[in-house]
Amino acid sequence: MTNKVCVVGAGSTKYGKLNESIIEIALSAAVDAINSAGITPKDIQAGYISNVFGVADRQVHMAPVIMSNLGIPNVPGLTIESACGSGSVMFREAYANVAAGFYDCVLALGVEKVTHTGTARSTTLFSYCSDFFYEGGNGASFPGLFASMARAYMTSHKASEEDLANVAVKNHENGLLNPKAHVRKKITVDDVLKSPVVADPLKLLDCCPFSDGASAVILCSEDFAKKSGRPYVEIIGSGRGASPAAVQGREDITTIPSTVAAAKQAYKMAGITPKDIDFAEVHDCFTIAEIIDIEDLGFFPKGKAARAVREGATRLTGDIPVNPSGGLKSKGHPIGATGVGQVVEVFDQFTGRADGREVKGAEIALTHNFGATGASAAVHIFKKVDRK
Amino acid sequence: MSETSASAKQQQSSREKFIASANKGKILANKCTKCGHLVLETVFFCEKCAANKFEPVELGGTGTVVTYTIQAVAPEGFEDAGSYAWVVFKVDNSQLRVSGFLGGIKKPADLPIGSKVKVNGFSPKYGLLIEKLAK
Repeated sequence: MTNKVCVVGAGSTKYGKLNESIIEIALSAAVDAINSAGITPKDIQAGYISNVFGVADRQVHMAPVIMSNLGIPNVPGLTIESACGSGSVMFREAYANVAAGFYDCVLALGVEKVTHTGTARSTTLFSYCSDFFYEGGNGASFPGLFASMARAYMTSHKASEEDLANVAVKNHENGLLNPKAHVRKKITVDDVLKSPVVADPLKLLDCCPFSDGASAVILCSEDFAKKSGRPYVEIIGSGRGASPAAVQGREDITTIPSTVAAAKQAYKMAGITPKDIDFAEVHDCFTIAEIIDIEDLGFFPKGKAARAVREGATRLTGDIPVNPSGGLKSKGHPIGATGVGQVVEVFDQFTGRADGREVKGAEIALTHNFGATGASAAVHIFKKVDRK
Repeated sequence: MSETSASAKQQQSSREKFIASANKGKILANKCTKCGHLVLETVFFCEKCAANKFEPVELGGTGTVVTYTIQAVAPEGFEDAGSYAWVVFKVDNSQLRVSGFLGGIKKPADLPIGSKVKVNGFSPKYGLLIEKLAK
């Protein structure tokens, strides 16, 4: 039996092209999270840091550097990498250590800085997250890998390029309401279809941007949360999953096994079903990813997500709002931070900090984030706690 | 030269063996001696029974296109490759799927799903080379 774990503070930088160093970006989010929790760094017993391309800003072994700059150099830190899923995979480790009783209060922080390397170099760096011998090494970029999944899905389920575009339009609508989003611009289906092809059938506006940014949360025991006197959110489900690293290793390219496995664990632990989720932050690195995600998470039957998106079911006012933050597509995708940023959105939604994009009456939320084409994934479920 | 270093020199890595077969137009797989399941040469334990004793099987390098993309924006190192597709294909007479580089593909009509392809070598620059077969 594990202990209850809560999120008692959260903070994010704006996502986008940032000028500060990767460490300064990280510290900015850490300070926001610490202030939001009403604690001091002396309350933090361990630091969990997620990052992928620190080497691009000349800093690896990032955890001790961050802890030192927070004035707690003797507090142990750990840096975790799991490609674009680093944030949620790291969050799971932070969660597990508090649940196991090793710590009462930890910092979980994700950070990334890549935009200074330029689009060509960033594309190449990201391709190292693939099973490179079979994928990046044979000429596939990440848009290319997801484009191959899109073609498989469109062939199997008769979906169209317009169906994919609807996801981008919806997420940009939400991102427009998020002051920290990278790309705050309303777009139309026609804009998506007329944008330049990156990897057929995906176009530029089917793809998330390369972003810099950091997000941080404070995880703690229930006792610590109650004593803090601050608003907090309870983690009621946590799951991890894995898939064959290469797309070629999957019998069905229109589903991501790691998502299915992680979701199943998280729902079981929370004792709920997909119908109980009031909103979800999911991994929409490309429009096709969101279509596949919301089927794999059980919100819609296989092959039915495109129609549901078209009919508005995933909009802010729909039956199951998906990516109220704007998602990776509009809010941005600083890959080490993304999974933590999703938790920040849940915290903001449940503690009255999501002005203008609030999901009305929401009490249960889900976050879903994966690495590469879904080789690694984590799903978490959160419950709003009303402080009387 | 010592006996050990001579034998190390002769020993090919799993990837080198895979590449050597690709250069003969074949896909090198391993058949599990315990359960008969087929895995790619680069896999070290059987996915079905976790045994690690295999006998090599060289599959004919032909197959059927499962899915693909045409890379309009090429990653570094592929800028001079012209218009090309990255293709996943199912290897004939096996359950295995492999991916590779197929040059000269400009539009989806050039490569319908289900097209027949075959391995045509391995390039240090572009990886596993495949070509489209006439119907």
